[in-house]
This record gives sequence, C-alpha cells and structure tokens, in this order.
Amino acid sequence: MTDTPRTPSQGTPPQWTPVALSRDLAPATAIPVIAEGTELALWRGRSGRLAAWHDRCPHRGMRLSQGFVRDDMLSCLYHGWRYDLEGQCRKIPAHPELEPNKAICVPAWSVTEATGIIWVSETGSGAPPDTGALAPLRSLTVERSEDALRDHLGDGVVIEFDGLHLLLQGLPQGRCVLHALTGPGLDAAGQRAASHRLEALRTRFEDSEDIA
Amino acid sequence: MKLYDWVLSPDCYKARLLAALTGQSLTTVATDVFPGKDHLTPAFRDMNPRATLPVLVAGDLVLTEVPAILIYLGGDWGGDNATERARQAEWLTFSQRLAGTLGLARRIDMMDAPGDLAQAQRDGTRLLRQLEARLFDRQTLGHAFLTGPAPTLADIACFPDVMLAPDGGVSLAPYAAIRAWSRAIRSLPGFIEMPGIPRLHELSPEPGA
Repeated sequence: MTDTPRTPSQGTPPQWTPVALSRDLAPATAIPVIAEGTELALWRGRSGRLAAWHDRCPHRGMRLSQGFVRDDMLSCLYHGWRYDLEGQCRKIPAHPELEPNKAICVPAWSVTEATGIIWVSETGSGAPPDTGALAPLRSLTVERSEDALRDHLGDGVVIEFDGLHLLLQGLPQGRCVLHALTGPGLDAAGQRAASHRLEALRTRFEDSEDIA
Repeated sequence: MKLYDWVLSPDCYKARLLAALTGQSLTTVATDVFPGKDHLTPAFRDMNPRATLPVLVAGDLVLTEVPAILIYLGGDWGGDNATERARQAEWLTFSQRLAGTLGLARRIDMMDAPGDLAQAQRDGTRLLRQLEARLFDRQTLGHAFLTGPAPTLADIACFPDVMLAPDGGVSLAPYAAIRAWSRAIRSLPGFIEMPGIPRLHELSPEPGA
C-alpha cells in the first residue's frame, strides 16, 4: 500500500517528499505532482520562486496545474482567476473592478528546493534530506508501488543501485516515481548512458515476478 | 491548396499547424465527421475511397495519407539530405503508431469508436516512454526538438496525438521531457491551437492590460 508511512533509516517519519527535479520546472510554468496521496499544483513564478497548492481552483475545481503563469501569478485556465504566490486570489477577470474576497485562497503546502531537487511537505517542519554533490539526472515513473520497490532496494532516503542514486516518491495505485541522481561531473554521453541504465532498471522492476 | 478538415481530428491539425508554422495559407473545407458522418457521402468517397480526413488537394494532386501531406506541405522542414529525411521518416512512422494507440484510445473514449481501450492505453504508454527517453537524450545535447536544432516534420507529426493523450485517459504528468518539448513547439512563431491543445497564454499580452 502506497499510503502506509515509511520509516527512513534515521527513524523519523518522512516530512518531505521529493516531487520534481529543478531542471524540469522552468520559470513561469506549472506541473501536477502527487505527495502522500494529495494532488498538488507545483509552479514556479517568473522570479524563480516556488509554490505547491491543492490542485483545484476554488472557483470551479479546475486543475490549477493546467493554468499559466505571468510574472509571479498563476491564472486558472478555466476562467482566469489569478492567484499570487501565497495562494491568495488577486483578480477575477469577469469582474475586473472587484477586489477578490480574502477568503478566496488555495490551501498550500511547504515547498523548498535544494541541490536541484524540489521537495514538498504538508507541515513544513524540519528540512529535507541533503543529497550533497549528487547531480539530478531525470525522473521516471515505475508501475510498481513504493513499498514493493523498497522491499527490493532497501529503505534509505537516497538508495544507491546500479551506479544510480535514487529518491523514491510513492504514488497512488501502485506506482512510484524514481528521481535519479548521478555522481557529479557526468558529460552528455555519460548522462545518456545513465538514463538508459535507468530505463533498463524500470524494465527489470516491471518484469520481475518478485516485485509485485 | 484546399484541406478537407475536421476540427477535432489530430491528423487534420497536423496539416493546419504545419501550414501555419511555415506561413502557407490553406483553404479549409469543414467536414463534420462525428456525429455528422460527412466523410461517408458518395462525393467524399469519390475523392478519397478510404473515407478518411484530412485530404489535401493542390491542383491535380490529391493526398490522403498524413505523412504524404506533411512532406508536401513541409518544404525545407522536411530535411535537405538523405540522412535527415530518413530520420524524419522514422518519426513519421512513429507518429502513425501514436495515432493507432493514443489516438485510438481517444477515439474509443470520446467518439464511441470500437476497440480495446485498456490495450490502446498500454500500447500508447509504451510509445510515450520511448518518446520521453529520446527527448531526454536530445536535452543532453542541448536540443529541444526531435531530429535537429529546429523543429521538423518529426515534431509536428508526433505532437498532436501526444498532447491529446489525456482525452484517451492517458496522463502526461510523468513525462518532464515531453512537457518541455510541448512548450518549445507551442512557443514557435505562428503556432495555432486546437480544442484540447491550448496555446501558451503567457506569451500573449494580458487582455485589457
């Protein structure tokens, strides 16, 4: 079950979930991510600042991750309701003269970025794990649960396997994202080779009878 | 040039998009395929016995296969040497597989087409993974597009069925490199949208600002 909290090796419950690599979230873009079973809209303002919110516009429930970013404001694709980085609604285009009510606000999670990885936390307490000098490569989704993969790979935060360093992000319905990091200083050919190893690893996991 | 066109068809959109990006004007003939079945009329079948959209008519030339239409409209985008043309041909064939999997899932889900939805979704997901891996490789070389530094027929042929995958119940959330590629295509001067494939609103001035 992906919903079961895991206990990393330090013996503390997981506070922070890795949800994306910095390289995959350009300024002024929004993407959908899932942390602890909750769907979030993760977005970056033009200035580079980040926000992670419930992926649901308070107006009509449209996914905010399908919205668009101008400066440091996210607009819903549906009717253009516009929110600042704190999640506060600042403009309703159909009523341009109206000052939106302060109660129109999107529930937010804590989000932080360190050494090329974006982490979110519902409570925001503590700091995410330090991945040091490891270089983010790419993220890929496996059709296997986090628990099944951990039974096979082990329980650390950063798991070394086949020359790759993996961060796991469990998803609902028996799926898991592998955020792959490598040692520092790989050239382009080395990165492609590492990416191909990661693909082969996924194939192995999904083909294995032992990882159900 | 006249394009027999259906607004909800990714194949028709490929032709319209390529024409728009290369600055060519098309006279479109709107054809109501679903639910109208305009493509099953004797007049249409006389022009295209397969009864499919799009059809491109340029003088005596009548083209009914999408890769052929893209090659005809593509001009310089089609590559100026055998290696580049062959690379693009690989992706034109790949795009036909996308249409037969992701596109099929969408037709089953949205338009009551016959077929095995779960199978089409699984097969389409395999292709999305291949595309994602390829686009990551391209990123390591500093390239946003499939076969060269600039967009080619390869990108235009693959783009629509990929972008419409969610209409067939296949999420694009797992694919970061595909997302970056989609933004690169939608940022091109002259880009046009179709229902389900929005333009990048942030690139246009804010209305009323």
